[in-house]
Amino acid sequence: MKLTLNWLKEFVAFSGSPQQMAELLTMAGLEVESLAPVSSPEDQQDDWALEVAVTPNRGDCLSIQGLAREVAALRGAKLKAKATASPFAAARAEAPVKVEIRSPRCCRRYSAAVLDSVQVGASPAWMRFRLETCGIRSINNVVDVTNYVMLETGQPLHAFDLDRLGAKRIVVRQAAEIGKFVTLDEVERELAPEDLLICDGDVPVALAGIMGGRDSEVHAGTPALLLESAHFEPLTIRRTAKRLALHSEASHRFERGVDAEGTIYALDRAASLLAQVAGARPAGRVVDRYPRRAKAASILLRRQRAQDILGVELSAGEIEKILKSLGCKVQRRGKGAFQVAPPSARGDLSREADLIEEIARLRGYDKIPPTLPVARLHGERADARLRGERAMRSYLAGEGLTETIHLPFSSAELNRRFYGFHRDGAAAVAVLNPLVQESAEMRLSLLPGLIEDFKLNLAQRVKGFAGYALGKVFSLSPEGEPRERQQLAALVYGKRERTGLRVEPAPYSFLTAKGLVEGILEQVGIGERVAWTNSAVPAFLHPGQSACLELDQRTVGYVGEIHPDLSEGLSLPRYGVLELDFEGLVQYPPSQITVRSLPRFPSVERDMAVVVDESFQARRIIDWIKSLGHSLIENVEVFDHYRGANIPAGKKSLAYTISYRAEDRTLTDGEVQALHQELLSQMSGLFDAQLRG
Amino acid sequence: MDESVEHLRDEILERIGRCASESEVEQLRVDALGRKGQLTQLLRGLKELPAEDRPKVGEQLNQFRRLAEERIEQRLVSLKAEARARMLSGEKVDITLPGSRWERGRIHPLTLAMDEIIDIFLGMGFEVARGPDIEDDYHNFEALNMPKDHPARDMQDTFFVSQNRVLRTHTSPVQIRTMERRKPPLQVIAPGAVYRHDDDATHSPMFHQVEGFMVDRRITFADLKGVLTHFLRQVFREDAGVRFRPSFFPFTEPSAEVDIACVICGGKSSTSNQSSCRVCKGSGWLEILGAGMIDPEVFRFVGYDPEKVSGFAFGMGVERIAMLKFGIEDIRMFFQNDLRFLRQFR
Ligand SMILES: [Zn+2]
Repeated sequence: MKLTLNWLKEFVAFSGSPQQMAELLTMAGLEVESLAPVSSPEDQQDDWALEVAVTPNRGDCLSIQGLAREVAALRGAKLKAKATASPFAAARAEAPVKVEIRSPRCCRRYSAAVLDSVQVGASPAWMRFRLETCGIRSINNVVDVTNYVMLETGQPLHAFDLDRLGAKRIVVRQAAEIGKFVTLDEVERELAPEDLLICDGDVPVALAGIMGGRDSEVHAGTPALLLESAHFEPLTIRRTAKRLALHSEASHRFERGVDAEGTIYALDRAASLLAQVAGARPAGRVVDRYPRRAKAASILLRRQRAQDILGVELSAGEIEKILKSLGCKVQRRGKGAFQVAPPSARGDLSREADLIEEIARLRGYDKIPPTLPVARLHGERADARLRGERAMRSYLAGEGLTETIHLPFSSAELNRRFYGFHRDGAAAVAVLNPLVQESAEMRLSLLPGLIEDFKLNLAQRVKGFAGYALGKVFSLSPEGEPRERQQLAALVYGKRERTGLRVEPAPYSFLTAKGLVEGILEQVGIGERVAWTNSAVPAFLHPGQSACLELDQRTVGYVGEIHPDLSEGLSLPRYGVLELDFEGLVQYPPSQITVRSLPRFPSVERDMAVVVDESFQARRIIDWIKSLGHSLIENVEVFDHYRGANIPAGKKSLAYTISYRAEDRTLTDGEVQALHQELLSQMSGLFDAQLRG
Repeated sequence: MDESVEHLRDEILERIGRCASESEVEQLRVDALGRKGQLTQLLRGLKELPAEDRPKVGEQLNQFRRLAEERIEQRLVSLKAEARARMLSGEKVDITLPGSRWERGRIHPLTLAMDEIIDIFLGMGFEVARGPDIEDDYHNFEALNMPKDHPARDMQDTFFVSQNRVLRTHTSPVQIRTMERRKPPLQVIAPGAVYRHDDDATHSPMFHQVEGFMVDRRITFADLKGVLTHFLRQVFREDAGVRFRPSFFPFTEPSAEVDIACVICGGKSSTSNQSSCRVCKGSGWLEILGAGMIDPEVFRFVGYDPEKVSGFAFGMGVERIAMLKFGIEDIRMFFQNDLRFLRQFR
């Protein structure tokens, strides 16, 4: 709502500065968003323009007079009334129109007046200046007066060219079978049966409360007017305005509630202004149809309740004074209670809570001293998930991975390519009203976001990139219900960055990516429960450099290089990714830590190297040795994997280290040697493995 | 004393002084004091002396031996010290060379800001709750006292995923879900992503909020002011100006908008001229939180008796707080994940 300070001051005395006015309104919940000096070169007016953000509950403040009432209440000032002699007081004759309300549920009141001897022309400079300062374009003196009165009183008015109303019989009704209507902006509107229309007989002439029609618009030669000043129900107007995406100053006000008691005053004010600027004269009395008078609200307010909600002591006198300053009728009801009838303009005041808010607001929020409530100790530890996420972020930062956050939107194409754990082709959640087509679906995987980051940073010539995201992905269940799940994904490329003198670290590989996954599982505390498999890796991964992670027969992760077809397709170098069902992993309680006593005797390590087929999996030998359950074999690990010189084609060399230890004595060299030899000879027979020197 | 003895003593002591290395000293020890050494020879020659001279000469030779041994030890100590000093000075590094370490990854600034907010409330005894990003109309609007066709719905442009499901426009539905499940007393915060159909330098279609609420017997508006003032002074400055002004939300009454004194100009531009400060646009204040006493209608939706309990709720934008704390001007920076940006956070 835009207004000028001088206009406001025509209705309420205010001697402070424009800044003080802005402060006063802002601190009363009518935030002044801008304040600027304005001046009219035509008639040397100097004024201030204010823009007030009026919240949707305060339709009454979408007018100069409404704001003046607020200022008066806040400052204890008197409202200045305009001279109230009605221009229609002297009219004896019936107005030459009839009014019929067929939809009283949508139209509570319809007041109308006819004016003749109209001289349509330009408005005076002072009026044009005010309208334009308030953001309304000047059209002609008739239309300008209707707008001026709307800004001043909050009551939207509409002027019809009386000569173009052939039937001179206003009918307020729903559109029903009338399917189309051309509004004054020359657009043909498709009507819904429940849209409210103003008709002249059977002919629609206005979309009630929203916009007039092209064919009854006031023009340069219009000699007589029908002025409409009506009350339409907020919901009726809102539904139609929203459906047609047609929002006007009038509909904005009707949607937020207009004072049904104010229609006649607005007609009087408009008629006297039209007399002044367009020579118009009343032709007959005002026609006023008011089939559904609103019952004035009567609210019980308890002083104790107000004190309990606000946390301050309030005297009965103070409560009464505040409510009366707002125009409420207040009656005391015994000890500590009031029966309150708010003014008709304040449709937002209907409950005790509304009155308590008004007491706090008028008193000033700053007059309520802050207190700290006594917190109850609930004894719960900080949310386990939160702790898990924080530990994970800290672990990943230590591993050199930077956290990224993305919008969760994706395109149908990206979802088809990077389907995460939805190999069954589960449907993505579609956004019905996406901002752009590239974000028409919710993501199935976190990878596309990370790939986007990778591209962006690659353009900055980074030597390495390691990023991760911890966020939700979305899909539809077979029943069509949306599901969401928190996942963890990472993308690694190139060399991990080091500071200091240059040393060349090894680039990220499948094994470093797998190492990350192992570290994550260890962090979560479920490393032992998970199985690695490469039987069914997703199609977007390199088939030879990827693996899946299974937990209770469910795939909970994958790791590997992006399929070279895809990286080349996006002109990207080769890079590794991983994605884990974080929610699925952290739902298991972490394994219990039970400390073993430290060994008292030293261990002895022996290495061995074997040449095996390329396809031989290193893990087999480890599993076999462990399966022996030999009490003196403490551990076995693979420490080297080699192809190349000295190894025949189609073969590879694997090297293991075995540690031997007895619980009760120091093993002798001879004992270890004998054990180790025995192990080697069994193994070479079993695995067709050739021992290397 | 025999002249030859004296001569030998002087010669040996002088040679000790000339030794330039530990091995030379050791060689000298052998030459002089070893089994075939010069001094040993002299001692062996004692028995050829007249008996009455033997004790005196013997004593002289023993003194000489002790002296030589002492000097040899001293010489060894000083030679070791010289050698260590040479080694140390030879190994001097340039301490201005860079330290060598792996680059750590960074935690996203939004997570940093979120964690700070959460920790302050955890410290005040609040718990953390979560809810779905895809919400139904009932929890996102209806139960928050925003029936269909309510103008307040226009304040939040909404993404729809079906007729009845939306991307939540605020974290307030978690309030409803928590109250549906549990009975008071409750003091809960709900952090998470929220969505608005909006995209420019100050609005992102996704951003983050932390919702919070406290419900018990006799929770008051004064308590709301106390808790939020305490919170804001922890996030910003202990002496930060905080003001509460009336506002409107369908699910709270009274409702308040909470401002802090501008972190850039310190609120000074409100008293001086307009338009001096870019961040607060000259108002001196920054809008930071929406809050209010939970509307009795909301309590009715979740089956609480508004005559028996009261409570407050609040919500804040995490991006906004992070932007103010870190001086970030474009909200889109958060979601571009440019390492040059992310590396600035520790
Ligand atoms: Zn500022």
